[in-house]
Amino acid sequence: MTSRLLTVGRALAFVAIALLGCAIVFQLAGYPSAGMFGAIVAGAFIAPHAIVHTLRWAMPLFITAVGVLVAFRCGYFNIGAQGQFYFGAIAAAFVADAFGGGPPVFVIPLAIAAGVAGGALWALWPGFLRVRFGTDEVITTLMGNFIAALALLYVASGPLKDASGSGEVAAARPVAAALRIATSSGVSFTLVAIVVVIGVLMWLVVDRTAFGVLGSLAGRNPVMVVWQGARSSRIGLAAFLFSGGLAGLAGALELLGPSGRLLGGFAPTLGFSAILIALVAGLSVPATAVVSIFFGGLAAASLYLPVIAGYPAAAIDIINAAITLLITARAWPSFTRRSRAAA
Amino acid sequence: MIAALAAILQSATPLIYVALGGMIAARAGIWNLGLEGLMIAGACASVVGVTQSGSIAVGLAVAVVVCALGSALLWFVIEKLRANPVIAGLGLSGLGLGGTDLAVQAIYGNEASVHAPLALPRLGPAAGDFAGCSMLVVAMPFVVAFLWVLLRRTRFGLRLSACGEHPFAARSVGVDPARMRLIALVIGGVLCALGGAELALGRLQIFSVGMTAGRGYMAFAAVSFGAMNPIGSALAAAFFAVVEYLGIKGQLAFGNAAPPELILSLPYLATVLGVWLSSRIRGSAATISELREY
Repeated sequence: MTSRLLTVGRALAFVAIALLGCAIVFQLAGYPSAGMFGAIVAGAFIAPHAIVHTLRWAMPLFITAVGVLVAFRCGYFNIGAQGQFYFGAIAAAFVADAFGGGPPVFVIPLAIAAGVAGGALWALWPGFLRVRFGTDEVITTLMGNFIAALALLYVASGPLKDASGSGEVAAARPVAAALRIATSSGVSFTLVAIVVVIGVLMWLVVDRTAFGVLGSLAGRNPVMVVWQGARSSRIGLAAFLFSGGLAGLAGALELLGPSGRLLGGFAPTLGFSAILIALVAGLSVPATAVVSIFFGGLAAASLYLPVIAGYPAAAIDIINAAITLLITARAWPSFTRRSRAAA
Repeated sequence: MIAALAAILQSATPLIYVALGGMIAARAGIWNLGLEGLMIAGACASVVGVTQSGSIAVGLAVAVVVCALGSALLWFVIEKLRANPVIAGLGLSGLGLGGTDLAVQAIYGNEASVHAPLALPRLGPAAGDFAGCSMLVVAMPFVVAFLWVLLRRTRFGLRLSACGEHPFAARSVGVDPARMRLIALVIGGVLCALGGAELALGRLQIFSVGMTAGRGYMAFAAVSFGAMNPIGSALAAAFFAVVEYLGIKGQLAFGNAAPPELILSLPYLATVLGVWLSSRIRGSAATISELREY
């Protein structure tokens, strides 16, 4: 426990260094950076509705990050959460569009299930290529992100196009109001309940089932697991399916919840943030929940920064990237070292 | 036919330079996912340098310095701070994409693109269909050959490869793998700068925000597809350029029969095909996985 706290503490220290570096760069580029830290804290926790915005982003981040965590634990570097998230949203959007007038009690679960399936399918092919041919999943899942972003653009401006829209932005028809599980604030009882249930379930899957335990072992020492008679390819495929399914679930919840419709390139940094969360949390589900709230706050603040401090949107990308660059410093090696000692 | 070849050669050249940059880093043991950021930084820095100074040489020099510094930063984070190379590389890519966006806005106001007053020197009308090829296109085959000789026929190159393949063995003969990786990353950064400069100043004379559109990641895939070999990586990058060219031609020929998003996704699909093929040919020696947690 102490070592995990140390890991999280070190990661937060590197986040602070990254923010400091950004502040210096922004100052040099002619954007006042004095108010940056204050604006981030205000945007995340203090401003009116800041906590709601923080939770709104923390929930999809948490679900996606738990999915990433499953794959990473099993030793697969699935960095395609973004694409799997998009395909989840696309699949849910098709269902919600086709059965828009149906009884919500049936259509909502169906749309969510479609989202899970969509995300899982988009993770299945890199997983299959990985376990069957040894094709590196870093490249395939990364390329999958680009293809999914284009597919989203196609669906939002093609089959599901909003005829009343201006056409400048690729926007799909909005989901019927009866099917929405949250308003655009993004926080509702249903949504929070789903997220909590999924969190507890995944914690049980990862820590208390044969799949979770064997998967973590396979991630640390694949040879040993094979010698003990487990089928590593089956574990691998299951890891990809879980990972993609959860990202797809997050996509479906985002669509039926705060977003309400498909938009070209929506939530563009969610997938990568989820990877960071999983790594910072040391691949533990409870820690992921805590770290998600921190990153949710950062996401909420980043929408707040351009308004308060007059930053261009690119500044937010830079802040995210600087954190990405530094956040695994020491955190990841200490995880592997600990795992080696344990194995 | 010859005109098509010239067009493919021109669009392949930026990708080839960047793939070579990734190749040399991979040989030293670092799978550089920061290629995307280095490439766009090279493109932006070269255009800004040319626009501000009015000299191509200054533009190239600025690009080289910026990319070398970016590579050194990545080296520091991976080697000294022991960050995860894949994640840190993605971070560097994000810094490049966001940083160039911010730089353009800070220097030129609210613009998404910058026109350069000059282009790289071209072959000129005497070269027929190849008239539009810049000096970097002409130099590309020589760079490939030079890197092949450097890596396969010199003591330095063999030591560099040893640092990636077996750092312990390299250390035992007195080579410092960390230092070798810094050298490899900086050389890679210089190559990325050339690739970015060719992308921005070769044909277009323009820098626009996000103009690399994943080419750096494709170059990364080309390193794996090309078996970490200079010639293989260059051929793999050329293959992606061919697919892109055919896609554009197909769209022109068949018009709206296929959605433009499908055409745009062809190079990414080709990349997946490429890494799948290379894993089939070489077996399941997933090199990135092996190096991931050194």
